[in-house]
Amino acid sequence: MIKMFDRTRRLRLLITLLVLASVTVVTIDFRTEGDGPLDKVGRAALTVLGPIQEGLMTIGRPIGNFFAGFTQVGSLKERITALEGEKAALRNERELIQDIQRENESLRALLDLNERLGFETLAAQVIGVSPSNFERTIFIDQGRAEGVRKDMPVLAGEGLAGRVVSVGRSSATVLLITDRASAVAARLSSSGRTGIIEGQNTGILRFELLDPATLVSLGDKVVTSGHDRGLYPSGIPVGSVVDVPPPGTNLSRAVSVQPFVDFSSLDHVLIVVGQGRRERER
Amino acid sequence: MIWKRSLLVALLAITGLALETTLFGSLTLTGTKPELLLLITVALAIGEGPALGATAGFALGLATDLVLELPQGLSALTFTLAGYAVGRVRMHVQTPTAWLPMALVSVTTFAAVLFYGGISFLLGEPISVFRSLRHAGLAAGYNALLTPFVFPLVRGLAARLRPRMTEVIR
Repeated sequence: MIKMFDRTRRLRLLITLLVLASVTVVTIDFRTEGDGPLDKVGRAALTVLGPIQEGLMTIGRPIGNFFAGFTQVGSLKERITALEGEKAALRNERELIQDIQRENESLRALLDLNERLGFETLAAQVIGVSPSNFERTIFIDQGRAEGVRKDMPVLAGEGLAGRVVSVGRSSATVLLITDRASAVAARLSSSGRTGIIEGQNTGILRFELLDPATLVSLGDKVVTSGHDRGLYPSGIPVGSVVDVPPPGTNLSRAVSVQPFVDFSSLDHVLIVVGQGRRERER
Repeated sequence: MIWKRSLLVALLAITGLALETTLFGSLTLTGTKPELLLLITVALAIGEGPALGATAGFALGLATDLVLELPQGLSALTFTLAGYAVGRVRMHVQTPTAWLPMALVSVTTFAAVLFYGGISFLLGEPISVFRSLRHAGLAAGYNALLTPFVFPLVRGLAARLRPRMTEVIR
Protein backbone atom coordinates (compact mmCIF):
# COMPACT_ATOMS: atom_id res chain seq x y z
CA MET A 1 0.00 0.00 0.00
CA ILE A 2 2.79 2.35 0.98
CA LYS A 3 4.60 1.36 -2.23
CA MET A 4 1.50 2.25 -4.30
CA PHE A 5 1.24 5.68 -2.66
CA ASP A 6 4.90 6.15 -3.24
CA ARG A 7 4.50 5.36 -6.97
CA THR A 8 1.58 7.74 -7.29
CA ARG A 9 3.54 10.51 -5.56
CA ARG A 10 6.58 9.91 -7.78
CA LEU A 11 4.38 9.99 -10.85
CA ARG A 12 2.77 13.25 -9.76
CA LEU A 13 6.17 14.71 -9.03
CA LEU A 14 7.41 13.60 -12.46
CA ILE A 15 4.48 15.09 -14.34
CA THR A 16 4.75 18.32 -12.32
CA LEU A 17 8.43 18.59 -13.17
CA LEU A 18 7.83 17.90 -16.86
CA VAL A 19 5.01 20.44 -17.06
CA LEU A 20 7.14 23.00 -15.22
CA ALA A 21 10.05 22.31 -17.58
CA SER A 22 7.77 22.76 -20.59
CA VAL A 23 6.33 26.01 -19.24
CA THR A 24 9.85 27.25 -18.47
CA VAL A 25 10.94 26.52 -22.06
CA VAL A 26 7.82 28.30 -23.37
CA THR A 27 8.56 31.32 -21.16
CA ILE A 28 12.23 31.46 -22.11
CA ASP A 29 11.37 31.19 -25.81
CA PHE A 30 8.64 33.81 -25.48
CA ARG A 31 10.93 36.29 -23.77
CA THR A 32 14.06 35.68 -25.83
CA GLU A 33 14.69 37.83 -28.87
CA GLY A 34 16.61 36.00 -31.62
CA ASP A 35 18.45 32.79 -30.86
CA GLY A 36 17.63 31.19 -27.51
CA PRO A 37 19.78 28.67 -25.65
CA LEU A 38 17.80 25.75 -27.08
CA ASP A 39 18.17 26.85 -30.70
CA LYS A 40 21.72 25.49 -30.73
CA VAL A 41 20.33 22.12 -29.65
CA GLY A 42 17.79 22.32 -32.47
CA ARG A 43 20.52 23.04 -35.02
CA ALA A 44 22.56 20.12 -33.69
CA ALA A 45 19.51 17.88 -34.01
CA LEU A 46 19.08 19.04 -37.59
CA THR A 47 22.70 18.13 -38.31
CA VAL A 48 22.01 14.61 -37.13
CA LEU A 49 18.71 14.43 -38.96
CA GLY A 50 20.00 15.85 -42.26
CA PRO A 51 21.61 12.71 -43.74
CA ILE A 52 18.72 10.54 -42.57
CA GLN A 53 16.22 12.92 -44.17
CA GLU A 54 18.24 12.92 -47.38
CA GLY A 55 18.29 9.13 -47.51
CA LEU A 56 14.61 8.88 -46.68
CA MET A 57 13.72 11.46 -49.30
CA THR A 58 15.53 9.46 -51.98
CA ILE A 59 13.74 6.27 -51.03
CA GLY A 60 10.47 7.78 -49.94
CA ARG A 61 9.82 10.39 -52.62
CA PRO A 62 8.40 7.99 -55.23
CA ILE A 63 6.29 6.29 -52.57
CA GLY A 64 5.21 9.63 -51.16
CA ASN A 65 4.29 10.93 -54.59
CA PHE A 66 2.31 7.80 -55.34
CA PHE A 67 0.28 8.00 -52.14
CA ALA A 68 0.09 11.78 -52.29
CA GLY A 69 -1.99 11.30 -55.42
CA PHE A 70 -4.60 9.48 -53.36
CA THR A 71 -4.50 11.64 -50.29
CA GLN A 72 -4.64 14.88 -52.27
CA VAL A 73 -7.55 13.85 -54.48
CA GLY A 74 -9.86 16.37 -52.75
CA SER A 75 -7.52 19.33 -53.02
CA LEU A 76 -6.47 18.35 -56.55
CA LYS A 77 -10.10 18.25 -57.65
CA GLU A 78 -10.66 21.71 -56.19
CA ARG A 79 -7.54 22.91 -57.97
CA ILE A 80 -8.65 21.39 -61.26
CA THR A 81 -12.06 23.08 -60.93
CA ALA A 82 -10.41 26.43 -60.17
CA LEU A 83 -7.98 26.05 -63.09
CA GLU A 84 -10.79 25.09 -65.45
CA GLY A 85 -12.65 28.23 -64.40
CA GLU A 86 -9.52 30.29 -64.97
CA LYS A 87 -9.01 28.64 -68.37
CA ALA A 88 -12.59 29.44 -69.41
CA ALA A 89 -12.16 33.07 -68.31
CA LEU A 90 -8.87 33.34 -70.24
CA ARG A 91 -10.46 31.78 -73.31
CA ASN A 92 -13.30 34.32 -73.12
CA GLU A 93 -10.78 37.10 -72.73
CA ARG A 94 -8.77 35.83 -75.71
CA GLU A 95 -11.91 35.66 -77.84
CA LEU A 96 -12.83 39.17 -76.76
CA ILE A 97 -9.37 40.42 -77.71
CA GLN A 98 -9.57 38.64 -81.08
CA ASP A 99 -12.97 40.20 -81.65
CA ILE A 100 -11.64 43.66 -80.78
CA GLN A 101 -8.64 43.10 -83.08
CA ARG A 102 -10.92 42.05 -85.92
CA GLU A 103 -13.16 45.07 -85.31
CA ASN A 104 -10.10 47.30 -85.21
CA GLU A 105 -8.83 45.90 -88.52
CA SER A 106 -12.26 46.30 -90.09
CA LEU A 107 -12.49 49.94 -88.94
CA ARG A 108 -8.96 50.66 -90.12
CA ALA A 109 -9.74 49.23 -93.57
CA LEU A 110 -12.92 51.29 -93.65
CA LEU A 111 -10.98 54.47 -92.83
CA ASP A 112 -8.36 53.64 -95.46
CA LEU A 113 -11.03 53.13 -98.08
CA ASN A 114 -12.74 56.38 -97.14
CA GLU A 115 -9.42 58.20 -97.27
CA ARG A 116 -8.67 56.74 -100.69
CA LEU A 117 -12.07 57.45 -102.22
CA GLY A 118 -12.53 60.85 -100.59
CA PHE A 119 -16.29 60.65 -100.05
CA GLU A 120 -18.25 62.38 -97.35
CA THR A 121 -19.37 59.41 -95.28
CA LEU A 122 -21.28 58.50 -92.16
CA ALA A 123 -20.19 55.52 -90.09
CA ALA A 124 -22.82 53.02 -89.05
CA GLN A 125 -22.87 49.84 -87.09
CA VAL A 126 -24.53 46.71 -88.39
CA ILE A 127 -27.33 45.93 -85.97
CA GLY A 128 -28.93 43.04 -87.77
CA VAL A 129 -28.90 40.71 -90.72
CA SER A 130 -31.97 39.55 -92.57
CA PRO A 131 -32.90 36.09 -91.39
CA SER A 132 -34.40 35.27 -94.79
CA ASN A 133 -32.60 32.94 -97.20
CA PHE A 134 -34.09 34.79 -100.14
CA GLU A 135 -32.72 38.25 -99.60
CA ARG A 136 -29.36 39.65 -98.63
CA THR A 137 -29.95 42.71 -96.50
CA ILE A 138 -28.50 44.16 -93.33
CA PHE A 139 -29.82 46.66 -90.79
CA ILE A 140 -27.72 49.60 -89.68
CA ASP A 141 -28.04 51.99 -86.73
CA GLN A 142 -28.20 55.27 -88.70
CA GLY A 143 -31.40 56.65 -90.18
CA ARG A 144 -33.24 59.69 -91.39
CA ALA A 145 -32.34 61.66 -88.28
CA GLU A 146 -28.66 61.35 -89.17
CA GLY A 147 -29.18 62.30 -92.82
CA VAL A 148 -29.38 58.86 -94.37
CA ARG A 149 -31.45 58.75 -97.56
CA LYS A 150 -32.65 55.97 -99.83
CA ASP A 151 -30.21 54.73 -102.52
CA MET A 152 -27.13 56.01 -100.73
CA PRO A 153 -24.20 53.65 -101.44
CA VAL A 154 -22.80 51.73 -98.51
CA LEU A 155 -19.13 50.77 -98.21
CA ALA A 156 -17.49 48.16 -96.07
CA GLY A 157 -13.80 47.78 -95.28
CA GLU A 158 -12.64 46.53 -98.65
CA GLY A 159 -15.14 48.00 -101.07
CA LEU A 160 -18.76 48.32 -102.07
CA ALA A 161 -21.27 46.61 -99.78
CA GLY A 162 -24.64 47.73 -101.18
CA ARG A 163 -27.11 50.60 -101.03
CA VAL A 164 -29.73 51.89 -98.66
CA VAL A 165 -33.16 50.63 -99.68
CA SER A 166 -35.32 51.82 -96.81
CA VAL A 167 -34.77 54.42 -94.13
CA GLY A 168 -36.30 54.61 -90.68
CA ARG A 169 -35.88 57.40 -88.14
CA SER A 170 -32.73 56.02 -86.63
CA SER A 171 -32.05 52.88 -88.65
CA ALA A 172 -31.91 51.79 -92.24
CA THR A 173 -31.93 48.68 -94.40
CA VAL A 174 -29.11 48.04 -96.84
CA LEU A 175 -29.49 45.80 -99.87
CA LEU A 176 -26.19 44.00 -100.33
CA ILE A 177 -24.63 43.65 -103.76
CA THR A 178 -24.90 39.87 -103.36
CA ASP A 179 -28.71 40.08 -103.36
CA ARG A 180 -30.40 38.87 -106.56
CA ALA A 181 -32.19 42.23 -106.79
CA SER A 182 -28.95 44.20 -106.82
CA ALA A 183 -27.43 45.52 -110.04
CA VAL A 184 -24.40 47.81 -110.13
CA ALA A 185 -22.87 49.45 -113.17
CA ALA A 186 -19.22 48.43 -113.16
CA ARG A 187 -16.04 48.28 -115.22
CA LEU A 188 -12.85 46.31 -115.34
CA SER A 189 -10.19 48.53 -113.84
CA SER A 190 -7.55 47.17 -116.27
CA SER A 191 -9.33 47.76 -119.56
CA GLY A 192 -12.22 50.00 -118.58
CA ARG A 193 -14.71 47.66 -120.28
CA THR A 194 -18.10 48.07 -118.68
CA GLY A 195 -20.95 45.80 -117.64
CA ILE A 196 -23.42 45.13 -114.86
CA ILE A 197 -22.57 43.39 -111.59
CA GLU A 198 -25.50 41.33 -110.37
CA GLY A 199 -26.06 39.49 -107.13
CA GLN A 200 -26.99 35.81 -107.12
CA ASN A 201 -27.90 35.33 -103.46
CA THR A 202 -24.55 33.53 -103.08
CA GLY A 203 -21.09 34.72 -102.23
CA ILE A 204 -20.17 35.18 -105.89
CA LEU A 205 -21.29 38.04 -108.15
CA ARG A 206 -22.12 37.81 -111.86
CA PHE A 207 -20.45 40.42 -114.07
CA GLU A 208 -22.37 40.73 -117.31
CA LEU A 209 -20.06 42.34 -119.84
CA LEU A 210 -21.60 44.58 -122.44
CA ASP A 211 -19.05 43.52 -125.05
CA PRO A 212 -18.83 39.71 -125.19
CA ALA A 213 -15.45 39.89 -126.87
CA THR A 214 -13.80 41.68 -123.99
CA LEU A 215 -10.56 40.12 -122.85
CA VAL A 216 -10.81 39.23 -119.19
CA SER A 217 -8.15 37.63 -117.01
CA LEU A 218 -8.43 35.94 -113.65
CA GLY A 219 -7.75 38.41 -110.85
CA ASP A 220 -8.85 41.46 -112.84
CA LYS A 221 -10.27 44.10 -110.52
CA VAL A 222 -13.84 45.32 -110.96
CA VAL A 223 -14.86 48.81 -109.81
CA THR A 224 -18.08 50.82 -110.08
CA SER A 225 -18.38 52.75 -113.35
CA GLY A 226 -20.78 55.46 -112.18
CA HIS A 227 -22.97 54.85 -115.22
CA ASP A 228 -26.14 54.18 -113.27
CA ARG A 229 -27.32 57.76 -113.10
CA GLY A 230 -25.11 58.53 -110.15
CA LEU A 231 -26.43 55.77 -107.91
CA TYR A 232 -22.92 54.48 -107.25
CA PRO A 233 -20.03 56.93 -107.73
CA SER A 234 -17.30 55.59 -109.99
CA GLY A 235 -14.14 53.94 -108.76
CA ILE A 236 -15.48 52.05 -105.77
CA PRO A 237 -13.79 48.61 -105.62
CA VAL A 238 -16.29 45.77 -106.00
CA GLY A 239 -14.33 42.55 -106.41
CA SER A 240 -11.96 40.51 -108.53
CA VAL A 241 -12.62 38.09 -111.36
CA VAL A 242 -12.42 34.46 -110.23
CA ASP A 243 -13.91 32.57 -113.15
CA VAL A 244 -13.80 33.38 -116.86
CA PRO A 245 -15.83 31.16 -119.18
CA PRO A 246 -14.51 31.04 -122.78
CA PRO A 247 -16.17 33.49 -125.20
CA GLY A 248 -19.08 31.83 -127.00
CA THR A 249 -21.47 32.83 -129.72
CA ASN A 250 -23.88 34.50 -127.28
CA LEU A 251 -24.56 38.19 -127.51
CA SER A 252 -23.64 38.58 -123.87
CA ARG A 253 -20.92 37.15 -121.69
CA ALA A 254 -20.70 36.92 -117.91
CA VAL A 255 -17.73 36.28 -115.61
CA SER A 256 -17.76 35.43 -111.90
CA VAL A 257 -16.52 38.01 -109.44
CA GLN A 258 -15.54 37.46 -105.83
CA PRO A 259 -16.58 40.55 -103.81
CA PHE A 260 -13.86 42.32 -101.81
CA VAL A 261 -16.20 42.60 -98.85
CA ASP A 262 -16.51 39.66 -96.52
CA PHE A 263 -20.26 39.74 -95.94
CA SER A 264 -20.11 37.07 -93.26
CA SER A 265 -18.39 39.42 -90.79
CA LEU A 266 -19.82 42.86 -91.36
CA ASP A 267 -19.65 44.99 -88.22
CA HIS A 268 -19.23 48.54 -89.41
CA VAL A 269 -20.07 50.24 -92.70
CA LEU A 270 -19.78 53.71 -94.20
CA ILE A 271 -22.77 55.36 -95.81
CA VAL A 272 -21.76 57.69 -98.64
CA VAL A 273 -23.74 60.84 -97.88
CA GLY A 274 -21.88 63.17 -100.25
CA GLN A 275 -19.15 63.31 -102.88
CA GLY A 276 -16.85 65.18 -100.46
CA ARG A 277 -13.34 65.80 -101.81
CA ARG A 278 -14.34 64.58 -105.28
CA GLU A 279 -16.95 67.32 -105.60
CA ARG A 280 -14.50 69.97 -104.45
CA GLU A 281 -11.86 68.71 -106.87
CA ARG A 282 -14.33 68.86 -109.77
CA MET B 1 17.79 0.89 -17.21
CA ILE B 2 17.70 4.58 -18.03
CA TRP B 3 19.98 4.24 -21.03
CA LYS B 4 17.66 1.71 -22.65
CA ARG B 5 14.68 4.00 -22.22
CA SER B 6 16.70 6.99 -23.41
CA LEU B 7 17.87 5.02 -26.44
CA LEU B 8 14.28 4.03 -27.20
CA VAL B 9 13.01 7.62 -27.04
CA ALA B 10 15.98 8.95 -29.05
CA LEU B 11 15.50 6.32 -31.75
CA LEU B 12 11.80 7.02 -31.97
CA ALA B 13 12.36 10.79 -32.01
CA ILE B 14 14.91 10.63 -34.84
CA THR B 15 12.90 8.13 -36.89
CA GLY B 16 9.62 9.94 -36.27
CA LEU B 17 11.01 13.37 -37.14
CA ALA B 18 12.81 12.06 -40.20
CA LEU B 19 9.63 10.41 -41.48
CA GLU B 20 7.47 13.39 -40.57
CA THR B 21 9.71 15.80 -42.46
CA THR B 22 10.21 13.60 -45.53
CA LEU B 23 7.66 10.92 -46.41
CA PHE B 24 4.72 12.43 -44.55
CA GLY B 25 5.65 15.93 -45.66
CA SER B 26 3.93 15.28 -48.98
CA LEU B 27 1.47 12.66 -47.76
CA THR B 28 -1.19 15.09 -46.65
CA LEU B 29 -4.84 14.35 -46.08
CA THR B 30 -6.54 17.32 -47.76
CA GLY B 31 -3.71 19.54 -46.60
CA THR B 32 -3.24 18.05 -43.12
CA LYS B 33 -0.14 16.09 -42.11
CA PRO B 34 -0.24 13.34 -39.49
CA GLU B 35 0.95 14.00 -35.93
CA LEU B 36 3.40 11.11 -36.03
CA LEU B 37 5.35 11.94 -32.87
CA LEU B 38 2.14 12.35 -30.93
CA LEU B 39 1.06 8.95 -32.21
CA ILE B 40 4.35 7.47 -30.99
CA THR B 41 3.85 9.13 -27.60
CA VAL B 42 0.36 7.66 -27.29
CA ALA B 43 1.61 4.22 -28.36
CA LEU B 44 4.33 4.37 -25.69
CA ALA B 45 1.87 5.56 -23.06
CA ILE B 46 -0.55 2.72 -23.84
CA GLY B 47 2.19 0.12 -23.71
CA GLU B 48 4.46 1.44 -20.98
CA GLY B 49 2.26 3.53 -18.69
CA PRO B 50 1.93 7.22 -17.74
CA ALA B 51 5.49 7.75 -16.49
CA LEU B 52 7.18 6.80 -19.74
CA GLY B 53 4.27 8.28 -21.69
CA ALA B 54 4.81 11.68 -20.11
CA THR B 55 8.62 11.54 -20.25
CA ALA B 56 8.67 10.38 -23.89
CA GLY B 57 6.00 12.97 -24.68
CA PHE B 58 8.19 15.72 -23.24
CA ALA B 59 11.26 14.56 -25.16
CA LEU B 60 9.45 13.97 -28.46
CA GLY B 61 7.54 17.24 -28.13
CA LEU B 62 10.69 19.22 -27.39
CA ALA B 63 12.44 17.56 -30.35
CA THR B 64 9.49 18.54 -32.55
CA ASP B 65 9.65 22.14 -31.36
CA LEU B 66 13.39 22.42 -31.88
CA VAL B 67 13.66 20.72 -35.24
CA LEU B 68 10.52 22.09 -36.82
CA GLU B 69 11.19 25.65 -35.57
CA LEU B 70 7.90 25.78 -33.65
CA PRO B 71 7.36 27.89 -30.53
CA GLN B 72 9.63 26.09 -28.07
CA GLY B 73 8.02 24.12 -25.28
CA LEU B 74 4.47 24.11 -26.65
CA SER B 75 4.59 20.67 -28.25
CA ALA B 76 6.59 19.44 -25.24
CA LEU B 77 3.80 20.56 -22.88
CA THR B 78 1.07 19.14 -25.14
CA PHE B 79 2.76 15.76 -25.67
CA THR B 80 3.65 15.48 -21.95
CA LEU B 81 0.03 15.92 -20.91
CA ALA B 82 -1.16 13.63 -23.72
CA GLY B 83 1.26 10.87 -22.73
CA TYR B 84 0.35 11.16 -19.07
CA ALA B 85 -3.40 11.22 -19.73
CA VAL B 86 -3.34 8.24 -22.08
CA GLY B 87 -1.18 6.27 -19.64
CA ARG B 88 -3.63 6.99 -16.82
CA VAL B 89 -6.63 6.02 -18.92
CA ARG B 90 -4.92 2.80 -20.05
CA MET B 91 -4.25 1.91 -16.39
CA HIS B 92 -7.99 1.90 -15.72
CA VAL B 93 -8.94 -0.23 -18.72
CA GLN B 94 -9.13 -3.83 -17.56
CA THR B 95 -9.96 -5.57 -20.86
CA PRO B 96 -8.52 -3.66 -23.78
CA THR B 97 -10.05 -4.31 -27.22
CA ALA B 98 -8.28 -4.19 -30.57
CA TRP B 99 -9.92 -0.83 -31.26
CA LEU B 100 -8.68 0.79 -28.04
CA PRO B 101 -5.37 2.07 -29.48
CA MET B 102 -7.12 3.62 -32.50
CA ALA B 103 -9.79 5.21 -30.33
CA LEU B 104 -7.23 6.57 -27.84
CA VAL B 105 -4.98 7.83 -30.64
CA SER B 106 -7.78 9.68 -32.44
CA VAL B 107 -9.31 11.21 -29.30
CA THR B 108 -5.89 12.24 -27.96
CA THR B 109 -4.78 13.68 -31.30
CA PHE B 110 -7.98 15.70 -31.63
CA ALA B 111 -7.69 17.03 -28.04
CA ALA B 112 -3.94 17.67 -28.32
CA VAL B 113 -4.20 19.63 -31.58
CA LEU B 114 -6.96 21.78 -30.09
CA PHE B 115 -4.96 22.25 -26.87
CA TYR B 116 -1.90 23.30 -28.89
CA GLY B 117 -4.03 25.72 -30.91
CA GLY B 118 -5.60 27.15 -27.75
CA ILE B 119 -2.24 27.76 -26.04
CA SER B 120 -0.83 29.28 -29.24
CA PHE B 121 -3.84 31.59 -29.36
CA LEU B 122 -3.25 32.63 -25.74
CA LEU B 123 0.35 33.42 -26.65
CA GLY B 124 -0.82 35.76 -29.39
CA GLU B 125 -0.72 33.53 -32.49
CA PRO B 126 -3.53 34.27 -34.98
CA ILE B 127 -5.46 30.99 -34.86
CA SER B 128 -8.79 30.37 -36.60
CA VAL B 129 -11.21 28.19 -34.63
CA PHE B 130 -12.65 26.59 -37.76
CA ARG B 131 -9.23 25.79 -39.18
CA SER B 132 -8.09 24.37 -35.84
CA LEU B 133 -11.16 22.14 -35.60
CA ARG B 134 -10.72 20.97 -39.20
CA HIS B 135 -7.02 20.32 -38.67
CA ALA B 136 -7.71 18.50 -35.39
CA GLY B 137 -10.36 16.29 -36.98
CA LEU B 138 -8.26 15.42 -40.02
CA ALA B 139 -5.11 14.80 -37.95
CA ALA B 140 -7.12 12.55 -35.60
CA GLY B 141 -8.42 10.55 -38.55
CA TYR B 142 -4.99 10.37 -40.17
CA ASN B 143 -3.32 9.21 -36.95
CA ALA B 144 -6.06 6.60 -36.43
CA LEU B 145 -5.34 5.25 -39.91
CA LEU B 146 -1.61 5.05 -39.18
CA THR B 147 -2.12 3.37 -35.79
CA PRO B 148 -2.25 -0.25 -37.10
CA PHE B 149 1.16 0.31 -38.73
CA VAL B 150 2.96 2.42 -36.12
CA PHE B 151 1.52 0.96 -32.92
CA PRO B 152 2.92 -2.63 -33.28
CA LEU B 153 6.34 -1.27 -34.30
CA VAL B 154 6.59 1.05 -31.29
CA ARG B 155 5.25 -1.61 -28.92
CA GLY B 156 7.71 -4.17 -30.31
CA LEU B 157 10.67 -1.82 -29.97
CA ALA B 158 9.60 -0.76 -26.47
CA ALA B 159 9.27 -4.40 -25.42
CA ARG B 160 12.79 -5.16 -26.67
CA LEU B 161 14.24 -2.20 -24.79
CA ARG B 162 12.17 -2.74 -21.66
CA PRO B 163 14.36 -3.10 -18.54
CA ARG B 164 14.37 -6.57 -17.06
CA MET B 165 12.93 -7.08 -13.58
CA THR B 166 16.43 -7.80 -12.19
CA GLU B 167 17.56 -4.39 -13.43
CA VAL B 168 14.55 -2.75 -11.80
CA ILE B 169 15.04 -4.46 -8.43
CA ARG B 170 18.70 -3.57 -8.42
